[in-house]
Amino acid sequence: MIADILDGIVLGLQFGLLAAGLTLVYGLGGVLNLGYGQMAVIAAMAVAFARDAGVPPLPAVGLGLLAGGLLGLLLDRTVLRPVYRLRGEARVLLSLLLTLGVSFIVDGYLNWRYPLKALTLHIGGGAVEILGVPMRRGSLVASAITLVTVAALFVFFRRTSLGRAVRSVIEDEEGARLVGIDPSRMLRLILVLSGVLAALVAVTRAMVSPVDVKSGLSMTVFALIVTVVGGLGSVYGALLAGIILGIVNVVAADLIGTYISLIILLGAAALTILIRPAGLLGVKE
Amino acid sequence: MSDRLTGGTFLIGGTEVRSSRSLAGLLIPIAVAGAALALVPLRLGNSRVLMGVAVLGLAYACYTIGFNVIFGSTGQLFLCVGALAGIGGYGAAILADTVGLPIVTSILVATLAATLVGGLLSFVAVRRSLGVIFTGIVTLIFSLSFEALVFGLGDLTGGDTGRLIKSGADTFLRDRIPPYYLMLALVLVFLLVHELLRRSHIGWALRALRDDEVAAELAGVDVARYRVYAALIGAAMLGLAGSTYAFTEGRLSPTTYGFGEVDVVVLVMLAFGGIGTLFGPIVGSVTFTIVDEILIEFGQLRHVAYGILIIGLFLRMPRGLIPTVASLWRRVRGLDRLGAAKSSDSAAGKLEAVSSEARSAE
Repeated sequence: MIADILDGIVLGLQFGLLAAGLTLVYGLGGVLNLGYGQMAVIAAMAVAFARDAGVPPLPAVGLGLLAGGLLGLLLDRTVLRPVYRLRGEARVLLSLLLTLGVSFIVDGYLNWRYPLKALTLHIGGGAVEILGVPMRRGSLVASAITLVTVAALFVFFRRTSLGRAVRSVIEDEEGARLVGIDPSRMLRLILVLSGVLAALVAVTRAMVSPVDVKSGLSMTVFALIVTVVGGLGSVYGALLAGIILGIVNVVAADLIGTYISLIILLGAAALTILIRPAGLLGVKE
Repeated sequence: MSDRLTGGTFLIGGTEVRSSRSLAGLLIPIAVAGAALALVPLRLGNSRVLMGVAVLGLAYACYTIGFNVIFGSTGQLFLCVGALAGIGGYGAAILADTVGLPIVTSILVATLAATLVGGLLSFVAVRRSLGVIFTGIVTLIFSLSFEALVFGLGDLTGGDTGRLIKSGADTFLRDRIPPYYLMLALVLVFLLVHELLRRSHIGWALRALRDDEVAAELAGVDVARYRVYAALIGAAMLGLAGSTYAFTEGRLSPTTYGFGEVDVVVLVMLAFGGIGTLFGPIVGSVTFTIVDEILIEFGQLRHVAYGILIIGLFLRMPRGLIPTVASLWRRVRGLDRLGAAKSSDSAAGKLEAVSSEARSAE
């Protein structure tokens, strides 16, 4: 049971970080990015090709994160520009339809050109015992990176003036504008950040299991579900929901079997949405 | 009720040229469409492969009409079109082969099941006042659960490899041409039902709902009830089309009713033709079936073309082909003064203004 919970936390941290990138962009800009998983996949492919070309692991990962950030910038400068002219639910719908188109383009091209490509990062060394449970070193490194990232996000949003500026836009866009904060610049910053987070999730996942070219859609879907359960726009909600759903998933998989566990996971998500549409930590509109 | 529910219908055009209210005005356009589609086997009838493609195209036309009744009329974003059709398809196959019911009975029972599930989803969404996005996500979750069940219940569904349907194997259902006319009949009946629905008091209520939900509610329209009605009718169409298609195909696999294969495609087809219009589903599904067949040798690369198409579509004519052409036609005839005033008022009009602004900025 303890082993399940630990495994669930490892998985849940990744769910949470994945969702954080999606939820920030939604909370800040009302943009639902359905090409989010594809950003992670492109970053993973960048790392994989860099590794193939003989680049050492750390610089390769650096390249992947850079690719993720650049993708965010690219989205902001191209496809999303017409979206920014809309408000409210029309903006959400147009953004999700346009990024759905982007995800088609990315998936179609990658599946056609590199159908079998996948990224795996091997972390050497044997298992480490945590609370009497042997854990794979890859899982631990992945979780450590995720936790450090979460801590960095926390510091960024609480302690830096830039982070506070971003939060002020999430809370009250008009008010932020009045005190001289440019919401569109903040949104660009957050899109770059969400690209980097997507890349980071791709890299940490690759330490646990291979990330192939087809994983874009499922990553987007999981990010979306975790985001909604946690409360749209809430980073901490996303992390909490990620960990809860991660544990539910692993425990259910162990006790019952894989496909029913997925249904239980989905059922739990649906139930949360129905009982509390604003999400676990979401603010009621 | 919360204002989250309203804005979601911004893509819905509804500026189709209004047909006359007589019975002939009702039947003639549908009959013309039916006659045009009925000629297809004359050209393709010799090829089993192409007739298969045509039958699948008609099945998609049915799905798109069903989705149009739910999303186009009431703005409920049901991302479980494939799952509801799949309840019909797998349900009917299991009832006929495993339980041993006659084919017609199993189709009816499976359709009833799909109808009830669709109605339940709508009822829950309405009760909890879920907006467009949340309805989309809850139904998406339902779709994923259905897919997990299809993979998991391998004994019944055949799991990964799929399931062969024995019932109806030696009947006209597996011939080359009759299945086409069977599906075409379904398409025409669905069109007729949709048009009758638009003309009935339900249609009036739904239009009032779409234009201004709060006003409709204040005028005494029972918003919740009409949403559920639309979902029940649309889900019945999906279940019936899904189960009928299953028997003509004789083989089901997870991709037959998959989310990526059905829901995404249906959404694009409907958006292309015109959400909320009567013939939008036909225009969209016929166009896409033809384009898909032309591009088939490009394999996965087709999706790149679709992606570009989706982006271009929503930027250039967010209301779809039929309303765009219709408003062009009215403009040519100088009758658009009223229409222009109306559409610039609606969110769709705003979106179109935005995209033309984007065009001129380039």
